[in-house]
Amino acid sequence: MKILNTFEKGFQTTNKRLKMVVYLWLINFIYSVLLVTPVYFLLKKDLSGSLMADQIIKGTSLLWLGDIIYKYQDVFPALVGWFLIPGIFFMLLYIFLYGGIIGRIAAQDEKMKMTSFLADCSKYFFTFLRVFLISLVAYLVVFGGIHSIISALFNLWKKSASTEWPLILSSILEFLILVLLFSIVRMFFDYVRVRLVVEKSKKTIRATLLNVTFIGKRFFKAWFLYLLVGLITAVFGVIYLAVYQLLPKIGILLIVGFIWQQTYVLSRMWTKILFYSTEYHFLNFHKE
Amino acid sequence: MKKKKSYIKFLFFILTLSIIGSAPLPGEERISNVRYEIWVELDDQNKMLHGKENITWHNNTRDDVQDMWFHLYYNAFKNEKSTTIQESKEEWFGEFGIEIKEGRWGWVDVTSIKLADGPDLKPTMEFITQDKPVHPGDQTVMRVCFPEPAKPGEEVHLQLEFESKIPRSVHRSSYYQNSYFIAQWFPKPGVYEEGKGWNCHEYHLNSEFYADFAEFTVHITVPEDFKVGASGKQIKTVPDDEKKTVTYTYYQENIHDFAWTADPDFIKVERNFIADKEVSLEEYEEVARMLQLPLEEVKLPDVKMILLIEPEHKRQIDRHFKALRMAIKYYGLWYGPYPYETVTMVDPPFRTRSGGMEYPTFFTAGTRILTSKKVLSPEGVIVHEFGHGYWYGLCANNEFEEAWLDEGINSYSDGKVLAVAYGPSAIPMSFKRIPLSWFCKLPEYYNYELERAAAINVVELDPITTVSWKFHDRGSYGLNVYDRASVCLHTLEGLVGEEMMLRILRTFQMRFRYKHPQTQDFIDVVNEVTGRDLSWFFEELFFGTLNFDYGISSVASKEKKKYVRGVFDVDGRKEEITSKRIKKMEKEDKKSDDKKYYVTEVKVRRFGEARVRGDTVMKLKVVFEDGSEEVINWRGQERWKKFTFEKPAKAKYAQIDPDNIWLVDSNLTNNSLKRKPSRKGIFKVATELLFLIQNYLQCAASLI
Repeated sequence: MKILNTFEKGFQTTNKRLKMVVYLWLINFIYSVLLVTPVYFLLKKDLSGSLMADQIIKGTSLLWLGDIIYKYQDVFPALVGWFLIPGIFFMLLYIFLYGGIIGRIAAQDEKMKMTSFLADCSKYFFTFLRVFLISLVAYLVVFGGIHSIISALFNLWKKSASTEWPLILSSILEFLILVLLFSIVRMFFDYVRVRLVVEKSKKTIRATLLNVTFIGKRFFKAWFLYLLVGLITAVFGVIYLAVYQLLPKIGILLIVGFIWQQTYVLSRMWTKILFYSTEYHFLNFHKE
Repeated sequence: MKKKKSYIKFLFFILTLSIIGSAPLPGEERISNVRYEIWVELDDQNKMLHGKENITWHNNTRDDVQDMWFHLYYNAFKNEKSTTIQESKEEWFGEFGIEIKEGRWGWVDVTSIKLADGPDLKPTMEFITQDKPVHPGDQTVMRVCFPEPAKPGEEVHLQLEFESKIPRSVHRSSYYQNSYFIAQWFPKPGVYEEGKGWNCHEYHLNSEFYADFAEFTVHITVPEDFKVGASGKQIKTVPDDEKKTVTYTYYQENIHDFAWTADPDFIKVERNFIADKEVSLEEYEEVARMLQLPLEEVKLPDVKMILLIEPEHKRQIDRHFKALRMAIKYYGLWYGPYPYETVTMVDPPFRTRSGGMEYPTFFTAGTRILTSKKVLSPEGVIVHEFGHGYWYGLCANNEFEEAWLDEGINSYSDGKVLAVAYGPSAIPMSFKRIPLSWFCKLPEYYNYELERAAAINVVELDPITTVSWKFHDRGSYGLNVYDRASVCLHTLEGLVGEEMMLRILRTFQMRFRYKHPQTQDFIDVVNEVTGRDLSWFFEELFFGTLNFDYGISSVASKEKKKYVRGVFDVDGRKEEITSKRIKKMEKEDKKSDDKKYYVTEVKVRRFGEARVRGDTVMKLKVVFEDGSEEVINWRGQERWKKFTFEKPAKAKYAQIDPDNIWLVDSNLTNNSLKRKPSRKGIFKVATELLFLIQNYLQCAASLI
């Protein structure tokens, strides 16, 4: 099966699971609203009576932004914590959700139901938690080891630079390499998770080792497929930005901007499922 | 006849008195009381400077001067005992401080110093450390003693020889590969202040410079392939084919420092600022009107503009020149014509850490290869550093002791020039050195908005007038002398009006050109030009650390009750007015179409410690639902005050300082209060934040 056929199958599967896109969006939305609500009330208390609030509608001005920063400078560390810790919990939540996402993709002929989605979530949670812990080792090797070596090489180049060009190029290249390395590790563990679901197994180490051979044999094909979906994610981002800049941000049209933002978030959920759908079909096709 | 004779005598007496009174002290009429002739050779191989220096110093005071103090700034980079490096180590940040790697030190050695008529002064040479806290190992100030004191009016002729090791990639003056930026490089006398002695501070991390006006003739010898730029005019070029060197001679009078740069890669471009092309008659007339000066006094001269730019920034040549033209034009029109024939702008050589620094008739800008037209960089730095030619270059305050006088006034001035020449700038944000404004519309700002956002955070740390090395930290120094001082000047502008502010700065500039003004001189000019005593403004905002914050604490409107309950004496009898009766009477009133009246109570508060004084008041505006307005002045001395209004409409909002004069106010949000809060703006911020959080969470989820 050609890569594009795999992609097409993944695309079709994703579209069959649009309900799941809505679930994921809803979870993300509610979680975020819970985080933003205290900040909203804080701002409301301090700003809603002021004419400065009208300036906020007109756009970002350093006059009101300066006031906010000055006013809340002592609260900032607490705010960072307020967003950082829930971020970690959200990662754990996604370890839970991945079971449901991949489980429902694998059961593509079944009707999409919340109960079966949640059942899959809980079924694979601890297995995927172990995968996550193994992946931490891989990230450590890649970013602590390989990336440091690459960074040192770039530093040699930068050190002897005569103009800013080597700094610009090395910083872009270093970032690109970092992204590509990340995409490889990420893709690898995606396949581990998909394999565990497809094989209905809980043996994470075995699945990881098997995956080394599997990916090793067809690395470029798998990576190309992964990057293709990644590219779609990036394109969605560009479209979002381009349209959002054109939207007027006054009065009732603020709602249009809000809807457009949520459409973009939905598109991110859709591509998340697309990643797993394409990987599922790729694994199924090449499974030995 | 006798009468007539005595009249003539009297006239002579007056004339004599006036001559005695205005008789210049020895040399008082001179602008420059120092003359330098320096021969310097750049040793590219060893990164050394070999120099000879003839100094003629004129004692234009009434004191007998027994010694001479010199700045040896390069010794700041000699070892870790120097004041600069010690102070850098005390800072909490590393990146912006000075950390010199091994083998990169710099120093200056005075190998010979003698009077021109013979006596060797070297045996009397010693290093002085007098600034507190003392850094005993510092060698940036040197003193020599004369065999005989220099009498008032006498000249001292000194001959020095020195050699300097150029430091690598440090503070302002250094080399990187074969590019050089050479500043603060020659032994330079301090400023002798009558009755006080030598004002000659060590090289501090947080300070710039102070020197007497002088006449410079400098002969710079460099390898033949180097391109050179320097303070003043290039008057001679002498190639030496045998040594494969070229000696460039630069001359300039009435400046107080001399810097130069050499780099084989420089592209040298020269253009002219032609005043008649740049400024229209209408513009001259407008400025003359605002300044209340004759048209001829605001006319600008032509100036030769020289740019030395690195090849990788070649595409930005026009941007550099446009910014310089705008600066020459507006500084010239507003603060006085640029008095020198040339101005040299240097795109600082890569990694010499010399960008964004001013020297008389010569300054460094600073740019990047990838720039956005929406972000005013390098324009901001060009306008700012050129502006220092006025504030520091011409009005030569002591930057060690009163840095705000040039940095603050110049930040205020450059913001005005940028605003009129370019409008707002996009926020300079980049990712991996790629400007983000290439991809999306970033918020725009005027300098004063950014300055205010920064300044309000340091008000309570230090007074603006603190001496440079005694600020709480480098951040407080920077934000106080640049940003907070500028914001205070914007506030002063609001208080006295834009035209009056122009007249203040023009008077200050022209009166103190080629002089060393102090803060009190500026205050005196403000009081004189405005005709008001605004000394309190400086006491409160410049010399103090008091937070300025006036605001509205409550607004409430209640219907004015025509009837109240209780027992009243009516026609000699007691009559009780009950709630029921009131309702009935009110019903009847409605039928008779009587207008309702509302009592609005507004409470204003002085949240901060700072207060307005003198003839200044805080304005309170109350806007009512029927569109009417009430404006009341409050002297603003009490902690709070209640104002009551009786109107046929409820209040919509109350606002203190409705003309936005008090930019120094640390909380502009509480300057207004609506009776009915509106959530529109909050909703917008909240939805933006929600979207950010949603994406942040998705990114977090993508990490697993």
